[in-house]
Amino acid sequence: MSNASSYTREDTKELFRELRETGDPEVRETLARLHLPLVEYLARRFKDRGEPIEDLVQVGSVGLLKAIDRFDVDRGVEFSTYATPTIVGELKRYFRDKGWAVRVPRRLQELSLRLNKIVAQLTQELGRSPTVSELAQAAEVGEEEVLEALESGQAYSTASLDAPSGEEDDAPGRVERMGDEDVQLENLEYFASLAPLIQQLPERERTILYLRFFQGLTQSGIAEEVGISQMHVSRLLSRILGYLRDGMVGADQEA
Amino acid sequence: MNTTRRDEVVLHVPANAGYVALLRTVVGGCAGHRNFTLDQIDDLRMAVDEAAGQLLKHVVGDGVELAVAEGDQALEVRVSAATSADGAVIDRESFTWTILQVLADELDVRTEGSRTIVTLRALPEVGREDQGRGTA
Repeated sequence: MSNASSYTREDTKELFRELRETGDPEVRETLARLHLPLVEYLARRFKDRGEPIEDLVQVGSVGLLKAIDRFDVDRGVEFSTYATPTIVGELKRYFRDKGWAVRVPRRLQELSLRLNKIVAQLTQELGRSPTVSELAQAAEVGEEEVLEALESGQAYSTASLDAPSGEEDDAPGRVERMGDEDVQLENLEYFASLAPLIQQLPERERTILYLRFFQGLTQSGIAEEVGISQMHVSRLLSRILGYLRDGMVGADQEA
Repeated sequence: MNTTRRDEVVLHVPANAGYVALLRTVVGGCAGHRNFTLDQIDDLRMAVDEAAGQLLKHVVGDGVELAVAEGDQALEVRVSAATSADGAVIDRESFTWTILQVLADELDVRTEGSRTIVTLRALPEVGREDQGRGTA
């Protein structure tokens, strides 16, 4: 191991000199490939936070490239030493930017799951979505706790859109039957810059987006229609809007 | 605490997407204590998210400000930031406008100097009486 890595170190220095002289993108790529194991190693340290490891490696690679571009070979520091904080920084920022993707205390996780059921039940009874105080009463906890638990439910909204969202009460069967709604999505495509982004959304997400913003259904209404919980609808909607907003940056600036 | 007719909560955060979650949390907390339904609370949170996210794309200042004012009935939520473009940050033709309009009972976007101010108003669905605040 130490032999191999010391060989790599010399190799690395040589490559960095070459990169500085020529700016050859292929050299940059070689350097990146050479250090991918470092990224993978660091990414694995974050693997318990519910993000797919491939995504983390991708994020870490951004940090690696930054480090490659900034590294000064004459500083006398090993590249791996230099790159580690940059890569870790990138990973941490990723989690921070995704909201509080932190561990949620078990107590809140449990309450959040319990609330899910109570929300559904109360929505049935009241014919509308319940208020926080109604929830607190039914769950026999304080309003603060309810708010906290609802918030923590949102903390899970970090997974990527493509990830299968089979976390709780998915009933894909019902969504698939709604395929006919697709025709009406031309409403959404009125926003030309959005069309390609919307097309990339999974069927269910598209349906939810359409029902909420163009049919005016409430989240509870959609929950019932699609057969998932209101909290799940809420999470999906937030995620979809975030995705669309991020995706539209380019289009916006052209305008 | 100084109780005027309109209690107001103001939060100023750095112009960084990482802080938007905090704005959401605050608006969720304010609405949660005001007898809004979960649907409405989530709508408001989402609206703040969308408004702040949109402002952040054009921000030139050092931060985004959230102000939640509790009127007699409605909750008035203002999200503002110093922005580069004038008036075009959220135009009526945009998707963001559509979204915000669905999420809030009333929507107003205007510019004051270099600041873009998005104002969202929401009315609780449920009457306040006989709805005591839960245990603290």
